[in-house]
Amino acid sequence: MASSVRKRIVKDRQMYLMLLPVILFFIIWHYIPMWGARIAFQDVRYVGANQWAGVKHFKMLFSSPVFFNVFKNTLIISAMKMFIIFPLPIILAFMLNEVSSTGYRKGIQSVIYLPHFLSWVVIAGLFISMLASPDGAVNKVRIFFHLKPISYMTSTHHIRWVFVFSEIWRSIGWDSILYIAAINSISPTLYEAATIDGATPLQQAFNITLPAIVPTIITVFILNLGFFMNAGFDQVFNMMNDAVINTVDIIDTYVYRVGLMQGNYSLGTAAGLFKGVIGLFLILSTDKLSRKVTGEGVW
Amino acid sequence: MKRFLTTLLLLAVVASIGFAGGSQDSKPAAAATGDVPTIRIVGKDFSPAEDVNIQFLAKVQAGLEEYTGQKVKLELVKVPDGAYKEKLNLMLMGGDIPDLIYFQGGDEAIAKQGLLVDLKPYVDKSAVMQKALMDFNKKRIANYPYLLWLAPPRARVALVREDWFKEAGGKTPVTVDDYYNLFKTLKKNHPDAFVMTDTGNTNRMDFTFEQAFGETATWIKQGGSYVYKKVSNAEKEKLAFYQKLYKEGLFDKDYVTTKWDTMEDKLYTNKVAMVFGTSGVVCDIYDTKLKKNQGVGLVALPPAKGVGQGYAVSTAKETRGWAISTQSKNPDLVFKLLDFMATDKGQLLDRYGIEGIHYTVTDGKYAFTDKKSDWWPRFNEVMSYKGPLPVLGPVGAKSWEFLDKYVVGDPDFPIPADLAPTWDALTNLYKEYSFKIITGEYSIDKFDEFVKKWYDMGGDKITDYAQGKLK
Repeated sequence: MASSVRKRIVKDRQMYLMLLPVILFFIIWHYIPMWGARIAFQDVRYVGANQWAGVKHFKMLFSSPVFFNVFKNTLIISAMKMFIIFPLPIILAFMLNEVSSTGYRKGIQSVIYLPHFLSWVVIAGLFISMLASPDGAVNKVRIFFHLKPISYMTSTHHIRWVFVFSEIWRSIGWDSILYIAAINSISPTLYEAATIDGATPLQQAFNITLPAIVPTIITVFILNLGFFMNAGFDQVFNMMNDAVINTVDIIDTYVYRVGLMQGNYSLGTAAGLFKGVIGLFLILSTDKLSRKVTGEGVW
Repeated sequence: MKRFLTTLLLLAVVASIGFAGGSQDSKPAAAATGDVPTIRIVGKDFSPAEDVNIQFLAKVQAGLEEYTGQKVKLELVKVPDGAYKEKLNLMLMGGDIPDLIYFQGGDEAIAKQGLLVDLKPYVDKSAVMQKALMDFNKKRIANYPYLLWLAPPRARVALVREDWFKEAGGKTPVTVDDYYNLFKTLKKNHPDAFVMTDTGNTNRMDFTFEQAFGETATWIKQGGSYVYKKVSNAEKEKLAFYQKLYKEGLFDKDYVTTKWDTMEDKLYTNKVAMVFGTSGVVCDIYDTKLKKNQGVGLVALPPAKGVGQGYAVSTAKETRGWAISTQSKNPDLVFKLLDFMATDKGQLLDRYGIEGIHYTVTDGKYAFTDKKSDWWPRFNEVMSYKGPLPVLGPVGAKSWEFLDKYVVGDPDFPIPADLAPTWDALTNLYKEYSFKIITGEYSIDKFDEFVKKWYDMGGDKITDYAQGKLK
């Protein structure tokens, strides 16, 4: 057994060598730092060894009057993003697949990929000025149609939707790449046969394209669930303001404020660890559920 | 080809391991070069990567050598890019603790672990410091002896466009009512503009109005015990006033999403008549930029007079400043550096910049160059220092005059670490209610509901703590 593994490694050594930097990257930047998570159970000392504190920081965290509000906000914003945004790149990929002009399709793809490369600082600036009341572009349109201007960025009813919409604007094109690639790998003969049999484009989409990309959809869905608790620090941090802080304060912004900015590293790490454990639980349970229901999982 | 690719990949692996090691720029240097003691300094925007900082440091080193009569080596420590406060703390936690550290918060946890030198004995013995420190600085150092900061308090002074102000009568307002009348006239004359804006909250304008409404300190006496100012009756009156300003279109509708840069932009593009600027050189910068954009300058206005009048300045501790590490092998010499920088020679260096770049001296006459606007003091700004040329313009100088006249000590105290999460929650609660009240979403009567919630969420614990700290 061991010798066959060795043989395979020797045979595909160039492949494994190519993989090595990636493995090193994950070890150095993802696995070694996990050891640092132990400070959630310690009192940090700048000089000398840290002191064991047990679950003191977790108790402090859970007794904070805002922590459960922060946790609730994280769940709501994540769920809104997950369930509203997730199907959109799939739909977009289907639509792009139907565009027959290659030049036109590539043009559209380039345009919708671009926002992905903008930082949230820039996007937040754009949205804040676009949604300003009453002088922002959106409110100018509302006023033109005799509608009352809305201060979207300061309204607790609208701000989460601003997050969802801006996330869609930024990510939908980029996220569709995977599905476009999966669709492109479907054999054209299936479509030709379906066309001869008289299937409409819609029937082809539902009976050929969709079943063919279901494994990709499930894999992406499960992997996304692993990041469920990452409600989007950069986005929330840049778009947050005093008016909506209690509606949009998420675990990551709380960790940044109470942990990093106030130097309570143990408390911040405790909050981060709590988030990580939930993420792990979500990904494992969804994988299990998916295996039961569809027979497909991540591993 | 395969061999070439393999070699290339191997190089990539070696390089990735090398880069993963991170920059070694901030690795502790030897405490001394030969017999010459080294002082390692870490400061905000004081990077060794900038040539101007190195040139400045060489001049400071020469000045310090002359001042102490001994050879010294000064060395700047690079802080990783990013928010200074955050990166500095991470650097210190990594075990790299320079001799002289500039803090912008986050120092208490380090002081508690005995890593910062008690500066009070040094300050008490230093004639230079006794002359340079303002009264509130002395109180701060007595309460918290780990940070030293020689600079005027960072109060925000009201600044109004000179032409619009004159058009509205040009009479300096004294009371809150005077201010309100001025605002109404400004709005009447310029209906398309707001009178004032702030940056995300009302912290800037509070400097002008808080004392007038009776918020004379962070914790004020109400009915025989100390009450946090944000849940006091005075706060209720102040919020009602702000609500009126907002409702009447005097206060910017978008103040909560306004940042410091957009605030400035609104001033320079005729969207607001007033802003509130940090006293001193910042006021001059606004004045210069407005002149450049609109051909008109600013007028500084004093804080409103009512129950009190002034800029409340915490005497609990410095919120920023220099600290000496107990790990330093030469704490006395490090303090000598701070001492030197507070002398007239040190201030000339720190305030004027580098001769030949930021200023020139011809036949004993000083003149600033165009590059002076790129220079800012790396160490301190001693308020009483009088140099050969005025460092501040008329607006900045006026703002300092107001500070000198109106600064009021505020016997505040830092919130302990175990109450920090509760304090964070209470602060957020205030932010939500104050915004909703100011914008009219809530009536002012909701203030009582806020006060009840504030106490229920843990404000009672902090208030009890305050009674013990302030008695």
